[in-house]
Amino acid sequence: MNKTLKLNKEEENRYLNILNETLSAEYGSALEMLAACKLSEKDTFAYGYFQHSKDEYNHSKTFYSILGKYGRKFGEEISRKYRFNTNSLIAKGYLSREGYLIETMKLKDFIAYVYTNELLARDSFEGILKLFKKNSNERDQISQIMSDELRHHGLAEQHFLKYYPKLQPWQLMIYRFRESVKNKGRKFYDKNLKFLDKILTPLYYSLAFIAGKIIYLIDLDQFQREGKNLMDIKSKSII
Amino acid sequence: MYLGLSGYNHESAAALVNNDAKLIDYCREESLSRIKGDKSFPKRSIRKIIENNKLNISEIKAVVFYERPLSSFLHPIKTATLYFPKSAPLISHQLRNFKKSSIGCFLDLASIFPGLEKKLIYLDHHLSHTLNALPYSNNQKNICSVVVDGFGDRSTSSISQVNNPYDIREIWTCKYPVSLGLLYSAITDFLGFQVNEGEYKVMGLAAFGNKKSQLAKKVSSLLNFDIVTKRFEQDMSFFSYHISPNDSFSEKLITLLGKPRNPFESLSTENKDFQKYADIAAGAQSLVINNLRMLFEYAYSLTNTTTFLFSGGVAMNSASLDSIASLPFVEKLIVPPSPGDAGSAIGAAYYGFLKNSVKTVKFLPKPDLFPSQYNYENQLKTAKKILDKDFKILTNNINEALKIAANLISKGEVIGTLIGNIEIGPRALGHRSLICDGKNAKAVNYLNSVIKNRSPFRPTAPCMNLETAKKYYDLRGELMESYKSMGATCSCKVGSGSSNFPTSHIDETARLQIIEDNSFLDKLFRELKEFDIEILANSSLNASGDPTCYDLIDVLMLSARHPLRYIITDFGLLESKFFGHI
Repeated sequence: MNKTLKLNKEEENRYLNILNETLSAEYGSALEMLAACKLSEKDTFAYGYFQHSKDEYNHSKTFYSILGKYGRKFGEEISRKYRFNTNSLIAKGYLSREGYLIETMKLKDFIAYVYTNELLARDSFEGILKLFKKNSNERDQISQIMSDELRHHGLAEQHFLKYYPKLQPWQLMIYRFRESVKNKGRKFYDKNLKFLDKILTPLYYSLAFIAGKIIYLIDLDQFQREGKNLMDIKSKSII
Repeated sequence: MYLGLSGYNHESAAALVNNDAKLIDYCREESLSRIKGDKSFPKRSIRKIIENNKLNISEIKAVVFYERPLSSFLHPIKTATLYFPKSAPLISHQLRNFKKSSIGCFLDLASIFPGLEKKLIYLDHHLSHTLNALPYSNNQKNICSVVVDGFGDRSTSSISQVNNPYDIREIWTCKYPVSLGLLYSAITDFLGFQVNEGEYKVMGLAAFGNKKSQLAKKVSSLLNFDIVTKRFEQDMSFFSYHISPNDSFSEKLITLLGKPRNPFESLSTENKDFQKYADIAAGAQSLVINNLRMLFEYAYSLTNTTTFLFSGGVAMNSASLDSIASLPFVEKLIVPPSPGDAGSAIGAAYYGFLKNSVKTVKFLPKPDLFPSQYNYENQLKTAKKILDKDFKILTNNINEALKIAANLISKGEVIGTLIGNIEIGPRALGHRSLICDGKNAKAVNYLNSVIKNRSPFRPTAPCMNLETAKKYYDLRGELMESYKSMGATCSCKVGSGSSNFPTSHIDETARLQIIEDNSFLDKLFRELKEFDIEILANSSLNASGDPTCYDLIDVLMLSARHPLRYIITDFGLLESKFFGHI
């Protein structure tokens, strides 16, 4: 981390959050590419996705180790919140509840998505790079990841133009523009969601209080099972 | 056909039982999604089961969900209302995530597998655990079932009298939030491990602790079975899981035990706080063992039976089973290979069968240890270029592959296995394993620390045939079934030298696996005889943090990312070209 910066708790939180989110994004990409590999119809496609997935796994490993390094430095109280858990990838939106992209998109759209997002990822690493001092290991590692992302972007472009020759490079530009807008929209939504969350929390808690009062009135003891044959309880009952 | 499902809370899974009460397919969602402990609706598992077995939806007579969702949703909220306003975040969180709770199962089924939702039925959560364990017992009449987990849909532990598969009566329960499972998870969290995933690390760490230390005593007094009231007594002020969506323990626990462990700190014997955390783990382990012993004593007093089924997440605590089995009245202690929530999908499927059969079935047949169908042939075409470019096929003759693998193991190599169907439970039993010579400390260390990147305090399990096991370990007749699925630990035999094996834990125990005749490992052991190797170290085929490999591409990826050089498969022996470049 940049030694010229003196970090307060809020900044430490922000740094660990960025590292955790980036790790989640990289791990999510690794899983997306692995799924694409398994569902490929051609072994040449599978090979490409396999290599891509391996790179993304390695990137996540790098971010995991950086997160660990700064997690140790910043102390238990803050670090505890930023433990990496693969189960949170869906909740955080890095993976869709509907399934992997390759399962829900057309192949053409999927390749265009990869093309665009590798570039967007590279751009966001520019920002992360600024967190670390010059000549640090972390900067070197992230620079390597950035060049990998650029390579993936180039490979996706080649692949796209080879298999969809009727589409022109400018059409890829449209994909890129669309994804950039979506990405900015996501960031805007996220930022405002957090803001809204702060404003609405008292309302949520008031509703929780009312709902809690109602639920409290439900006599769940009447559904106790002691002495009953569990095989005879109605199988359509959800309580 | 009967489809059992689990999900939304812990590991999700799907199981298929046929009209003869035979478990014919089973799949954990994490195997397919590659998300460890995946708890989302098991759509991939259901799809795979339907495709593997070429099922029409009309052939599925019932889809059985492993709990009653409304009960599971309401109980924690009702409890939380007693702690308002402290519990406001939890109640608000629960209500806002209503759609993501298990109540959504009906809608998920309707949208992804239309038609199946009409066949959806439910059973009590602890009954699904009991029915998962029941087929492993040779006696399925007049026995006792003890279920202990975090929280099901109404209780956190229970005792039932199993008169026969159609008559299972609940006779004692422990109400939420008092919970042996959730307490152990809170300590897991305190020790910096992931809840619902790191509990087995606490168990491994406990062996290094002193259960008579002050810290251990403090932990072990956090929950007690009161012999007068016949209830678990737990001071909830040390915990937060019943009032907070994020925190499992309170400031009061920190005051009692000191600072929690930073999850990013490495944990090794050289670490200055290692002993402190090991003592806390020892206290938690001791708490579990003592309370389980008392619970079983009470269960015996209620049922007067000597055969016990034991299931639920806490039954995965393999280090406690030896102590329970040593109780004088226990003749058989049956723990299913997958005692947690993933396995309860199997219990749910059996329930579907029993509800639809005339009440004449007296016995549920014991499931195979490898029921999760997988055929590598479908993936060979996809993986052709990966295999051609990055792997070398040393032989495609399986018999020759076994001979070469035996030779490699004798030279200290670690071999990955990808053989047939995948294991039913979380323990690798040879089909998705990393194996090496169990007496070669260097090889075991390489497997554990270099390939798997695991903490050094966690032991690797040994596997062997029954004859060898008897030579080195004190086996208990009551637990014979569990040894086959690596479900229980046992003590090293004094004077046998086994306590010095690298697969033995510091407390001179081992979580051994006794192999089955004619299994893949049995065939490998025949080849290993020439090299005087009688014990293999056996660990699951994955790296730390990943689910166990399921298919060919998973294992190729593992080998591409970690220094695993050799893989034995159904189609021969592979050597990775990545080796030496990682």
